[in-house]
Amino acid sequence: MGRNPLHTKLCDMLGIDFPIIAFTHCKDVVAAVVNAGGFAVLGEAMHTADEIGADIKWIRSRVGDKPFGIDLVLPASAPDADTLETLLSKIPDEHKRFAAHIKEKYNVPEPKGSQALHQWGGLNQDIARKQLEVILDERAPVFVSGLGSPAFMLKAAHERGMKVFGLIGKARQAKREIEAGVDAIIAQGYDAAGHTGPIGTFSIVPEVVAIAGDTPVIAAGGVTTGRHLAASLCLGAAGVWTGTLWLASRESDNDMIIKEKLVAATADDTVYSKSVSGFAMRVLKCPWTEEWAKPEAPRVLNSPYQMLLSSDYIQAANDHRRADLMFEAAGQGVSFIDSMKPAKQIVNDMVEEALSVFEEITGESADA
Amino acid sequence: MADDAISRVEGFDAARAGKRAECDGGGAIAGTRYAQREEFTGTLTGAYVDHGDPPWRWYLLKDLERRPDGYPGEAVWCLAENLFVDGEP
Repeated sequence: MGRNPLHTKLCDMLGIDFPIIAFTHCKDVVAAVVNAGGFAVLGEAMHTADEIGADIKWIRSRVGDKPFGIDLVLPASAPDADTLETLLSKIPDEHKRFAAHIKEKYNVPEPKGSQALHQWGGLNQDIARKQLEVILDERAPVFVSGLGSPAFMLKAAHERGMKVFGLIGKARQAKREIEAGVDAIIAQGYDAAGHTGPIGTFSIVPEVVAIAGDTPVIAAGGVTTGRHLAASLCLGAAGVWTGTLWLASRESDNDMIIKEKLVAATADDTVYSKSVSGFAMRVLKCPWTEEWAKPEAPRVLNSPYQMLLSSDYIQAANDHRRADLMFEAAGQGVSFIDSMKPAKQIVNDMVEEALSVFEEITGESADA
Repeated sequence: MADDAISRVEGFDAARAGKRAECDGGGAIAGTRYAQREEFTGTLTGAYVDHGDPPWRWYLLKDLERRPDGYPGEAVWCLAENLFVDGEP
């Protein structure tokens, strides 16, 4: 084999060894993946500007000059916000009774503390803007927008020597962001955890590659193994975006109960449910999602009402570490997570498997 | 850009007023690590707000023909770059 098939234009752009991007909410995973030759992005949507600034400094202290990324969920639409009290008063009694029925049936305790959801108060343009300012001030090497277009801040980021990636679920949004000048586009398919686009990974990736020109496309949604990495490169992607893969890694700060659930789970243990937030998102099945899927359940409410309704259950499950109640967002690739490996080993295993796949295809040996 | 008070400058785009548009919207779900996607179709009023510097432009979409199930409002602010206006490339 002439050239290393895993060395892509994304590797050249970022100065990384392997075209593997870890998306994680854990700083330790970021440091471990970056130091293993991959790239990592820290999800900071729910953190304050001060916390984000501190996290960037912490990561720098662990990875030196190696690049890393920070992800925010820039909003793309915004209704007028009600107060928490007004929102709570709008939840129908039928739904409150059904939530109480679940609580009684599964002996769900009271949360220990006040709910994070109630303390946060909503994510609006002001909060996102302040988060973004500290990322620009700190000159994080890469900024990733997990939802809304980052076009408005491209110039400011590029002037600071930063790169900007956009995550999309539809080709028309990719086209818009590529034309605006993002440095890479993440095409996310339906297999992914949490909120996803409506199109499958095998369809959205080549569709975006076809319109991306020289802009690197990164495949997301269900990517968990070296075989997935090889397949993504064959689809024309320049790298992969992986999330669920790191949730049970040794460095991950997830609760051990969640890690054990992830290791035991298969794709069939995930569900695309509106019962948690009012919006369809892929999570591990739990009593809450299963009860709301029954025919006798009331119709799931819209956001934010359903989230307010589920917040007692979520907070109590986590506060009391009730294994039977706890859940986590997880993609369909969860089937392939079978142990709690160190992040470096996950990177190495993925690279070795991808190279083996290319050897199988070409009949020639490949080295990274 | 580091300024405690984030500016909001209102304006009116007459060329877009009355045009039908689709918005690939969404945002974070408060208090969680999760986000959601939301899709809207409606009519642009022409009103916009430029938020901060560099300006982050939002347009007001009303008379919603399509909105997420149970969406309580009659209008929605949409990020300019996530808006697809009929008759515009």
